[in-house]
Amino acid sequence: MNDVSSVWQRNDYSRVPYRLYHDPDVYREEQERIFRGPTWSVLGLEAEIPRPGDYRVTHVGDTQVVFNRDKEGTVGAFVNRCAHRGAEIVREPYGNVGDFTCIYHAWCYSQKGDLIGVPFVRGVNKKGGMPADFDMRKHGLSKLRVQVWNGIVFGTFREAVEPLESYLGALLVENIGEIFARPIRLLGYQRQRVSANWKSYLENTRDAYHASLLHEFNRTFALSRLTQTSGGYMDERHRHSMVFQFKGSDSDKDAQKAYSDDRVQRGEYMKLQDPSLVEYIKENRTGVSTRIISIFPNAVVHQIANSLGIRRVRPLGVGEFEVEFILFGYQDDDEAMTAHRVNQANMVGPSGLISMEDGEALELVMRATAADTEGAGVVEMGGTGPMVNLDSRVNEMPVRGFWSFYSELMGIEPRGAQR
Amino acid sequence: MIAANEVKERVERLIVDSAMFIDRDELEAWLDCFEEQSRYVVMPRNNRELGLPVGLMHCDSKDRIKDRVVCLRHANKFNPHFDRHIVGASRINSVAQDIAAVETNFMIVQTNKAGESKLFCAGCYEDRIRVGKDGAKFVERIALLDTFSIPTMLATPV
Repeated sequence: MNDVSSVWQRNDYSRVPYRLYHDPDVYREEQERIFRGPTWSVLGLEAEIPRPGDYRVTHVGDTQVVFNRDKEGTVGAFVNRCAHRGAEIVREPYGNVGDFTCIYHAWCYSQKGDLIGVPFVRGVNKKGGMPADFDMRKHGLSKLRVQVWNGIVFGTFREAVEPLESYLGALLVENIGEIFARPIRLLGYQRQRVSANWKSYLENTRDAYHASLLHEFNRTFALSRLTQTSGGYMDERHRHSMVFQFKGSDSDKDAQKAYSDDRVQRGEYMKLQDPSLVEYIKENRTGVSTRIISIFPNAVVHQIANSLGIRRVRPLGVGEFEVEFILFGYQDDDEAMTAHRVNQANMVGPSGLISMEDGEALELVMRATAADTEGAGVVEMGGTGPMVNLDSRVNEMPVRGFWSFYSELMGIEPRGAQR
Repeated sequence: MIAANEVKERVERLIVDSAMFIDRDELEAWLDCFEEQSRYVVMPRNNRELGLPVGLMHCDSKDRIKDRVVCLRHANKFNPHFDRHIVGASRINSVAQDIAAVETNFMIVQTNKAGESKLFCAGCYEDRIRVGKDGAKFVERIALLDTFSIPTMLATPV
């Protein structure tokens, strides 16, 4: 990599160098140090592979990974690449199989990823075939270490990585644990490709400040306003975050005044013909109405009113990424609640009345920063210096937290770096 | 009883008109293409195949379809662009009572304000259309999207 060790102008990450969104050398290094580094990535949900033999293709960084359930019910994961000549083995995005057979030379692997068949391994009529010392046990698929936690399937390429619950930290264990405390029911997928660097999405979901400014729908229907009881919290190492708020903790009148005084709100709030779209039926202990929980490096869990989801983030080169929203409810939801969640899925995803703008905003950043890779963005909302949890969403602290852990893994921390 | 050729003509007219209204940003006229009791869903193909109910836009009533348009007009900020719907020939699968079940393939070409065009998506309209003496309207329109990984965003209706 070109020298990026001096890329940071400030040791508290309050200036974010544009170069980190655009440099292909940085991207290559991220694959090794982040996605194959000492991290746990979200592969998906157990609910996506409920039956023995079920599998699903996903990605950890650029690496295509298959996670599956074997006939004993154990969840595992392997790189989708034949140990023979490197062909993709699984060609459908999901399915149910008894074994995995590569179409190229029909090498066959068990559900656990072990090589169990090599056609004509001993040749024909004592001619051809593999050398006598060829050991099938040494040519299985490349496996990931997998841990299922509350129905979420995590994977890592590293043997030496801290235990999952300690990696997640108390904040995420409590809040994600609560969202996944009841058995879930999948409701559907929404996918979106954005022409911007993948890290800008991770910043976006940690950016507590933008939610009511970019997303007028949030502001109008009190789903997220800076005048509400709200905050931006992080785990102890500041790599993950949760931005949250309580609908009903401010009044339309006060909010309208605050946003008008700061020249954001122009005119009256619009009205819906059918306000059930923005109705929040309380279903957790504290009554928190929005939680956007970012898991380093590749996932986001959201609760937006009664829309529940987990998002997988997949980089596609330095200038593109895909977000896949997996929406769910609970198995014990009644029909009306399921219909309500399906209706509230209108607020998220690439057509989301709240979230549609994120893709556009990140593309604006990507385009405008391309020509000036010496420049840097300003991240000072909520204060500079040490990173702390704030009971306010006028706050970009978790964005700085993201960069601090990123820099630690990438080996580019500035001198005297804040962590 | 309306003659078969008249059903065909009215169905095709509705499908072409509704596409034109979107392309011309006449979304209020597009709303008038729907019956008072109607639904509109943009369904990613993978959800259909998995039997999952979530759509990208999922409006179970005319009020909710209206809300989509009102939000687009007043709240949402989206990528400035022009749409061109290219609709294929319609296949009328059945006509029962006064409801025609119709499938029509479509593509949408999106052009940004710098004049660059891209294929935005491909899919199939699965329509149930009430054909009356004075015209035809959608009772249900499901836009099944083969392009279920959406480039940037899908703001305007399909």
